[in-house]
Amino acid sequence: MRTRIRTSVRFAATAIAVALVAVSCGSSGKASNATTAPAGTKGPATGAVGTNPAAAGSGAGIKLAVNAWTGSAVNANVAKIVLESKLGTPTTLVALDENAAWVGLDAGSLDANLEIWPSGHAADYQNYITDKKSVVDLGLLGPQAKIGWYVPSFVIDQHPTLATWEGFKDPTLAKLFATANTGAKGQFLMGDPSYVTYDEQIIKNLNLPLQFVVAGSEAALITAIQQAETDKTPLLLQFWQPHWLQSKVKLTEVKLPAVTDACLASAKAADGKYACDYAPDPLYKAANAGLEAKNKKAFDFLKKFQLTTDQQNTIAATIDSDKMDPAAAAQKWVDANPDVVTAWLA
Amino acid sequence: MSQAVLPAAPAPVALLGRTTTRVVGVAAVIVGIVVFKVTRQQNVPSWLDLHVQRHAQSVYHWIVQNTGRNWFLDAIKSIGNGITWCQKRGLTFLRLLHWTGVVALTFVIGYLRAGWRTATIAAASMFAIGLCGFWDLTMVTLSIMIVAVAFAMLIGVPLGIWSGLSESAERRLRPLLDTAQVMPAYVYLIPCVAFFGIGVPAAIVATLVYAVPPAVRLTSLGLRQVPVVSTEVGMSFGSTGPQLLRKVQLPLARRSVLLGLNQVIMMAFGLVVIASQIGTGDVGVRVLAGLQKLDANLAFSAGFCIVFAAIALDRITTGERSLKPGRPMPKWMADRRALWAAGLAVVVVAALSAKVLSVQQYPSWRVGIGSWAKSVIDWLDKHARHGVPLIGGTDSFNTFLVRDILIPFRSMLQSAAWWLVVGVVTLIGWVSKGWRLALLCALAFTGIAAMHNWDLAMDTLSQVLIAVIISVCLAVPIGVWSGRSRWLETALRPFLDTAQVLPQFVYLVPVVFLFRVGPTPGMIAAVIYALPPGIRLVSLGLKEVPLAPREAAISFGATPRQELIKVQLPLAFKSIMLGINQVILMVLATVIIAGLIGGGALGLEALGGFTKPNIKMGDGVAAGVSIVLLAMVLDRLTQAWGNRSDQEDRPT
Repeated sequence: MRTRIRTSVRFAATAIAVALVAVSCGSSGKASNATTAPAGTKGPATGAVGTNPAAAGSGAGIKLAVNAWTGSAVNANVAKIVLESKLGTPTTLVALDENAAWVGLDAGSLDANLEIWPSGHAADYQNYITDKKSVVDLGLLGPQAKIGWYVPSFVIDQHPTLATWEGFKDPTLAKLFATANTGAKGQFLMGDPSYVTYDEQIIKNLNLPLQFVVAGSEAALITAIQQAETDKTPLLLQFWQPHWLQSKVKLTEVKLPAVTDACLASAKAADGKYACDYAPDPLYKAANAGLEAKNKKAFDFLKKFQLTTDQQNTIAATIDSDKMDPAAAAQKWVDANPDVVTAWLA
Repeated sequence: MSQAVLPAAPAPVALLGRTTTRVVGVAAVIVGIVVFKVTRQQNVPSWLDLHVQRHAQSVYHWIVQNTGRNWFLDAIKSIGNGITWCQKRGLTFLRLLHWTGVVALTFVIGYLRAGWRTATIAAASMFAIGLCGFWDLTMVTLSIMIVAVAFAMLIGVPLGIWSGLSESAERRLRPLLDTAQVMPAYVYLIPCVAFFGIGVPAAIVATLVYAVPPAVRLTSLGLRQVPVVSTEVGMSFGSTGPQLLRKVQLPLARRSVLLGLNQVIMMAFGLVVIASQIGTGDVGVRVLAGLQKLDANLAFSAGFCIVFAAIALDRITTGERSLKPGRPMPKWMADRRALWAAGLAVVVVAALSAKVLSVQQYPSWRVGIGSWAKSVIDWLDKHARHGVPLIGGTDSFNTFLVRDILIPFRSMLQSAAWWLVVGVVTLIGWVSKGWRLALLCALAFTGIAAMHNWDLAMDTLSQVLIAVIISVCLAVPIGVWSGRSRWLETALRPFLDTAQVLPQFVYLVPVVFLFRVGPTPGMIAAVIYALPPGIRLVSLGLKEVPLAPREAAISFGATPRQELIKVQLPLAFKSIMLGINQVILMVLATVIIAGLIGGGALGLEALGGFTKPNIKMGDGVAAGVSIVLLAMVLDRLTQAWGNRSDQEDRPT
């Protein structure tokens, strides 16, 4: 009895092993497709995940970062298409947080990030590009971003003086923005604490009856905007262009004192005397220092790669408003704009 | 936190006698109030500042400047590569099986380990992942989780055995475990990335830090609960130490180790969404995307994929066949190996049939869990915020909670001199359990002062206490009711399971929508998260009260109410206190989440370690240490209260 069970177990085990090998051989060709196909059809913001097997072998594969916003997905997906179809470089997109991306660029586990907002990453630039030289600056992406103070437009309709910062000097108007948490003062809301902020200094130096509150995340900030819009309650916040919500909710930028040299100097010195508007943010690209040696063609292309604000917005709109998958949206745009692509490769 | 039940030293209260205690208590309160009124808020003196911020920042800076140039850091990185290798193999295996094979495998393991019911639930959960729409991405998550859970058990069980067999080991491990469990993941996430590389390896290491403690604790607890008799019988037969461990103690501690595995799985899944921010490329990314775009449908669909995966993994690993006494195991089930072989054959057939029938991809069947959730939220948004009869709605609740409760309480804590707060907490410690606990309280709160974020710590403490009070007010009555009513318990179970595993990120947006950005949504999220263990432990405590004293009370003519209040509740007190203890720790674990939605305080500060590592890593670490110290004090105090009553009830 004992031996018979032994034999049957052994037989079953062998049969299973053979069967598993059969399955694995059969699907190894499909395995790489399986990684891309479902991801593409379900449309993650990162676009297709995985490598393109067709292009393997013709140039070392690279990894591009995709940060949490649509613009970042646009750049990375357009670059991926060009890298794979024109340069034969298999490209993987990695969705991750923008701060983690710097650590990845440093270690070489990421090859490039195509959209970095300079205002939030001065310390990273210093650490990795200037001091350690493990990351290199790939030049400007093209679009200029702009941070500023915003209110929902209906607030301006009701109180036109709030279109400039001077309107907020009036305590009764400022009190419109008060919450249970801020008491008599008006609330000034900021979203993600990782974004650059001079708001606390601006409020203090312009002597405004406002209290600076950090929501803690962009999602919380957007929820607050959406809620203010539904309830028609006033809200003052730090926000920026370009952002997908700008096309859905009417927001008006509050005019702050113009940027002066003195103001920029105090930003640089971090002396706490900042009291003007935010300077425009020219977005830039960065790569791991080893990329040039690893894949020169890809490096040169990424260095030349640029999108205008309009181009980026067009693609972003097809993703955000038309709910198109980022990879498909990028493909559509690349097909329609062969001249732009040729110029990058020249 | 720790379930270890130490023999309580006689509390000073018991020694002093009732009247004296009361006099001392009243005197202490009066002195406290006078001191509070006389002294003003005082800044923590600069000689006390440990400069943790500066030191942690410079350590991080050194790491940043030296990764890739230092053999030590590179050696660590190779561990990461090993972890990634394991996860890749796991994922390849899951993909080889196709969805049919994975569901079949779940069923087979569940059936062989625990029987039809468990197998059906587990397989149905696994199948439901696809119905939510993210089969492939969830398989990535599952492969990461399997590796993380396996490593957690490999590390945790030996440590647990060590600490179960040696008193000094337990003492040494305990503060480490406390720290690992309460330190917000955001503080060590970026350093993990710097050490182990982006994506899977860093995510698994971060998950390990968080998920190992329950494995250690419950293994150790299990060994300690092995009856002395069994150990001695083993010894009298001449077993050596290792033999005793392998043949007697570990088998008897099996249930506890399995409970540890269950907790490891729950903890590990709790970190999925946070970990996806460092590039794991799994279903957590979709939850975040839903959050970012305010797409409740997307966030909930992806969130439920995580819930179902957690439930499936939990049921098949922790389920145990419960054989009815008197019904012998069927003969054909006695040969385990043949059964496993048959099971494997079923899995292979399932995997192959997907290929043969060419349904390798999960079919496009969908159930709109996300859209149901979304419509519930939309309804709440329309109807719950204003104009609810009697209570007014969430808006006015928010105003009341913040303006009339939180702010006065917070400003009281903040305006008291720091040493007064330290003194009061020390006194509470002394009254609760004696000078040892008093010393611990004093050291911990002085430590918080030395972190140089006193005001923020008091802000967090006030939010935590209020959330705890709300949770206890809900958990105890619900727990009592469900401890006495079987149908309520059954009805609650799926909700409690979901509340425990559903990533908190999923309900951040609805909570913010209902209660506005500020401290309230964080407290509500904490309550949602803390209720399940609270309710479970209270109801467990009631059910474990022996029948004899209850029946005695009834035979003496006690009404059901009297029987509950005079017999069942006092006897269940210890378990209720353990429930409250768990509530406190759960609430503290959500402090960081509160930081994401306007709670500010230590949570936001700790978040700085993730969002601005180059500038705020030091602040993040200091805030993390403060949170750990707060947790330790609250944990030891509630444990002491639980044990003290035990002592007082004991007939003298």
